[in-house]
Amino acid sequence: MSGEETMPERDMPERDDAMMAAEHALGLLEGEELLAARGKEASDPAYAARKAWWEAHISPLSDEVAGMEPSPEVWAAINAHVNSRADSQGGEVVDLQSRLRRWQWTAAATSAAAAVLLAVMVFAPGTGPTVSPTPDETPMLAAADPLVAQVPIGDTGLRLDLTYMPESEKLLVGAIGLTADGVHDHELWLVPEDGGELQSLGVVTPGEVRAHSLDEDVIRNMGDGVQILLSREPLGGKPDGVDAGPVVAEGAFTQV
Amino acid sequence: MADTNSDQATIAREQLRANMVRLADGDSAALEKIYNATRVKLFGICFRILGDRKEAEDALQDVYINLWQRADRYDPTRASPISWLSTFARNRAVDRLRTGKVRGGAVPVEEANPLPDEAPLADSLLVDAEQSAQVHTCLGTLDSKTSDNIRSAFFDGYTYAELAERAEVPLGTMKSWIRRGLQKLRTCLEASEAT
Repeated sequence: MSGEETMPERDMPERDDAMMAAEHALGLLEGEELLAARGKEASDPAYAARKAWWEAHISPLSDEVAGMEPSPEVWAAINAHVNSRADSQGGEVVDLQSRLRRWQWTAAATSAAAAVLLAVMVFAPGTGPTVSPTPDETPMLAAADPLVAQVPIGDTGLRLDLTYMPESEKLLVGAIGLTADGVHDHELWLVPEDGGELQSLGVVTPGEVRAHSLDEDVIRNMGDGVQILLSREPLGGKPDGVDAGPVVAEGAFTQV
Repeated sequence: MADTNSDQATIAREQLRANMVRLADGDSAALEKIYNATRVKLFGICFRILGDRKEAEDALQDVYINLWQRADRYDPTRASPISWLSTFARNRAVDRLRTGKVRGGAVPVEEANPLPDEAPLADSLLVDAEQSAQVHTCLGTLDSKTSDNIRSAFFDGYTYAELAERAEVPLGTMKSWIRRGLQKLRTCLEASEAT
């Protein structure tokens, strides 16, 4: 027994494990005694069962405690925690920040030109980008270097990230962080160096990284220094026979 | 009336039990149902122990997140779900006390802010009346000094040392009182279990 018990009662009951389990269940222990009891609970099934027996029997006492309504923030915090975890386990809630980081990582990897393979980028929440070469397009070293462009969106700090892989005939358009306003879409345009008509590079999908397939006559005009415009259009992109909407952002391709 | 109430109670308990099983099976949506059915009771317990609204809300959050992470710890064949959850919440709250961040307990009743009449019925429906009667009956067989101290340990989260200080008796005396009380309590509970 500890030295603090200077006045033991004559008939102090022996303090065996069963008694410690009762004291532990009731919450009387502290300090080293509590640590020892926790250790026993983790390692000794008989002790753990005895503690659980006490807990089950004294638990109905808590029916006397008046109920109280916690503030709504408590559930909000619990729910946010559960959802963020569910996302990282493949749930549907998208954490844009983590996707942005993944995209930046991908972009960095993509810029290492020689290592770039023909690839389909599959972005599954939580799993990180999966680079899966398509079977009919055997991976090979880039014959030509990719073109990249950044299109800053006003002073929002957001931007479109474009990567063009010469061999893939695809343009990766990253629009992470952008949100749809529900009434407009934004369309990317290539400005041919020969002064020809603007060529569509496709409608941007807000919040996503998408691969846009390019037509041969567009691909012909791709190159270092080629200018890109972003216009604001009705949903679905510029209708046929109508002038393009206002230009809201611009950028230019750079060869990596 | 009484039959209707007990039917409702049985249904409420079984719904809670089913949701606990669903949660253990990985169905996160069950957590909200469990929260809605039990938050008032569990928050009351956390607040009673911790004596501070903010601390109690942190503890409550901790309780449900832990529950979600480790719902498989609940064995539906062995324990009443509300009894198990109450124990879980109380233990988390007492753990917080013991880490020394707060000194709660002894919340004056008027501060405890009991719910007005619209208090969710779910709480009282979940109570297991028989089990409840057992511990009350057995505590009643102890002398009032002993049962008061055991109850204070349970409700306010006091340690031996704190109980001794409050009762102005030596620590050894308090330990002796409570240990003898716990022995009697165990004998009584086991006897009523056997019948």
